[in-house]
Amino acid sequence: MRITAPQWTLPAAMLCAAASGLPEVTNSDLLNDEVIASDWLNYHGGYSGQRHSLLDQIDRGNASSMRLEWVFQEKISEKFETTPLVHDGVMYITVPPGDVYALDAATGARLWRYSRRLPPKLIACCGLVNRGLAIAGDRLFMATLDAYTIALDRKTGRLLWETELIDYSLGYSGTHAPLVVKDMVMVGTAGGEYGIRGFIDAFDIETGERRWRFYTVPGPGEFGHDTWAGDSWKTGGASVWITPSYDPKLDMVYWGIGNPGPDWNGDVRLGDNLYSDSVVALEADTGKRKWHFQFTPHDVHDWDATQVMVLLDSEYRGEVRRLLVTANRNGFLYLLDRATGEFLKATQFVKQTWAVGISEEGRPIRRPGMEPSAEGVEVFPAVAGGTNWMSPAYNPDTGLLYVSCREGSAMYYKGETEYRPGTRYWGSMFINEPTMHNWFGAVRAFDPVSGERIWEHRLFQPAWAGLLSTAGKLVFAGTSDGFFKALDAESGNELWRINLGARVQASPMTYLGGGRQMVAVASGGALFVFGLPQGRAN
Amino acid sequence: MQSMRCFALLLALPVLLAGARTHESNPMNSAEDFQEGKRLYRIHCGNCHGMQGDTGRGARLARKSYVHGNTDAELFDIVEGGIPGTDMPGLWLEEDDVWRILLFVRTFAETASKGCDPGNGEAAAGKQIFDTKGSCLACHTVGNTGGRLGPDMSFAGELYTNDQLRRALLEPARDVANRYRTVRVVTADGERVDGAWMNENSYRIYLMDRSENIRSFRKADLVSFEMPSESLMPAYKGLLSAGELEDLLAYLCTLRSPAKEAAQ
Repeated sequence: MRITAPQWTLPAAMLCAAASGLPEVTNSDLLNDEVIASDWLNYHGGYSGQRHSLLDQIDRGNASSMRLEWVFQEKISEKFETTPLVHDGVMYITVPPGDVYALDAATGARLWRYSRRLPPKLIACCGLVNRGLAIAGDRLFMATLDAYTIALDRKTGRLLWETELIDYSLGYSGTHAPLVVKDMVMVGTAGGEYGIRGFIDAFDIETGERRWRFYTVPGPGEFGHDTWAGDSWKTGGASVWITPSYDPKLDMVYWGIGNPGPDWNGDVRLGDNLYSDSVVALEADTGKRKWHFQFTPHDVHDWDATQVMVLLDSEYRGEVRRLLVTANRNGFLYLLDRATGEFLKATQFVKQTWAVGISEEGRPIRRPGMEPSAEGVEVFPAVAGGTNWMSPAYNPDTGLLYVSCREGSAMYYKGETEYRPGTRYWGSMFINEPTMHNWFGAVRAFDPVSGERIWEHRLFQPAWAGLLSTAGKLVFAGTSDGFFKALDAESGNELWRINLGARVQASPMTYLGGGRQMVAVASGGALFVFGLPQGRAN
Repeated sequence: MQSMRCFALLLALPVLLAGARTHESNPMNSAEDFQEGKRLYRIHCGNCHGMQGDTGRGARLARKSYVHGNTDAELFDIVEGGIPGTDMPGLWLEEDDVWRILLFVRTFAETASKGCDPGNGEAAAGKQIFDTKGSCLACHTVGNTGGRLGPDMSFAGELYTNDQLRRALLEPARDVANRYRTVRVVTADGERVDGAWMNENSYRIYLMDRSENIRSFRKADLVSFEMPSESLMPAYKGLLSAGELEDLLAYLCTLRSPAKEAAQ
């Protein structure tokens, strides 16, 4: 059974030719990012969320000769989580906490820098991070830590417009790379640990004017409001901090929604707590909900649905279906019909102890006694989940989905908490130390339809780095002990590695620089770019 | 919640400016703040530093002055950001809560003794035991003399209580800091090496062997590789008489920095 990329792309050859030297990023370019192999125009390398490139200059036969091409370094004390965009020979990256750089994609030379003046006391639970940009026309878009969406001139870095999402001092922030769909740029708000009420906004890319807003916690009178006890919906969290996927044919945007708040004490928010820990399919033009699916109703373990929603078309039970596959923090790999939201299948992909299984309707069947308590309860997976925000990758040629998996448990505690605007709203805590001896990581390849694990490449520690798949039958992966490596996409065997000297906490990407395939990944305070020795490319 | 990792003794996130300090001195001073600080300390700090700041594998807090900082601001930054290169993690807490913890921690100094109490032992005799019979110098440094397999004892009288020193001598495996964990490997050609853990990654293990050679081994080349729960240090129970133990403790208690001695 051959599994393919969703069929909204144009013939690759046509687009590769057309793409060279395009001054502006058109809607057609964005629709065909996956086959414009020279560029990388969206956080995922395409709307489908597959993070797969058609570039094959670097392949299994020559990957072992990869070498460093250039390095970008800055004084970065935060986690450097950016995925670069590349267009027209220029690379665009975000540098935490609020900078944007344009670099020559072939040499790393700096072209311009935009530095956002940020308030002195930002509110961000897990570091002052930013994961990247969106691009359209001659503009770049960024979500900022002070809860704005901004547009920059991609040729100069000049600020064109900025629109406030909401008052950041209430605990809101922007950390994910925005998504451009047609003439709109879409951004969700982070801050799920601060008693926010999450939402997603769409803005006019020309003016910055808001087109629509979707609240990830339904208000009075809205569907799902009754899944929150009392006034808990007002502080329900359900943040958004990973770039969605998009199906142009269905015109649906697939958003992964974060945890409910407070994180570890659900007593004040009885109910399923929609749309926390869900995927929500929104109609692009209106922001109206088409369907939703909740992975972890009434979550008390902080298992955001923050993994990328990977879109692919495949045969399922004798019928070609438009599928959505995602590995959830709760330890299960889910397969849904992305047109309807129908639950098709869930398969355990890491050790988990909180659920006996998943029902035919897709609801977890909980194992008693696994909720956090005052004394602490050990539960697999740990708070970071069976995986987290780092990107998976899907190779249509191998038909395999690659996931960076995190194995291990944590002690979960429950306590009292009181909402105070702009402060942490947790309901206690977790402790990893007593259980960290059983932690390890793995890059695993799965058949996305059956959920069967095909291979595993074991890692010393759970990783915070995403994966990249290429037509050269390679999977690129970073590790927490500072390695960046190329794996054989069919076997998981390691073909090449380099020690970057710091934890890799970003998802890699690839592009053509000066006609040669390059692979870029952030690590520590630097962005590293690798290629083959000159003259080795085909 | 976003990127959560290694809460190395409790809540350790690598760098978090979200709780960055806005005061130079502790603004918390109420009885409620103190009680909350005590509660938070017990959750976040007690495992390593002891509930009264005087036990455990962490630095002794029940003392008049600290090695890494003494002002409110310095201590805040340590609690907030951790101490690089040590097992002390940063805490992922709000600014006010860090100050509350420090309000509680400051009371340790008031109730602390001047450190280790020499007791009835004879320090001079203890030095002899340290240098000769006990072979302590083989692994521990005092001043510019001694080995490097174990912790530096130059300021042992300031850093540890009698209980900590006694326990380390009698039950050395009970609290071993990460840096001094025992590693035991067997190579393909049959060489057996044990030593103190220095670093490790997916491919290699680095250790200091008993001759203080820094050794690197490819994990794939090893027949076996283990990290036993025992310590490289022998248990001195039975090796030293009760009197010798008291003498040794008395000597260790005299090991202080000149400046700190003057201050006290």
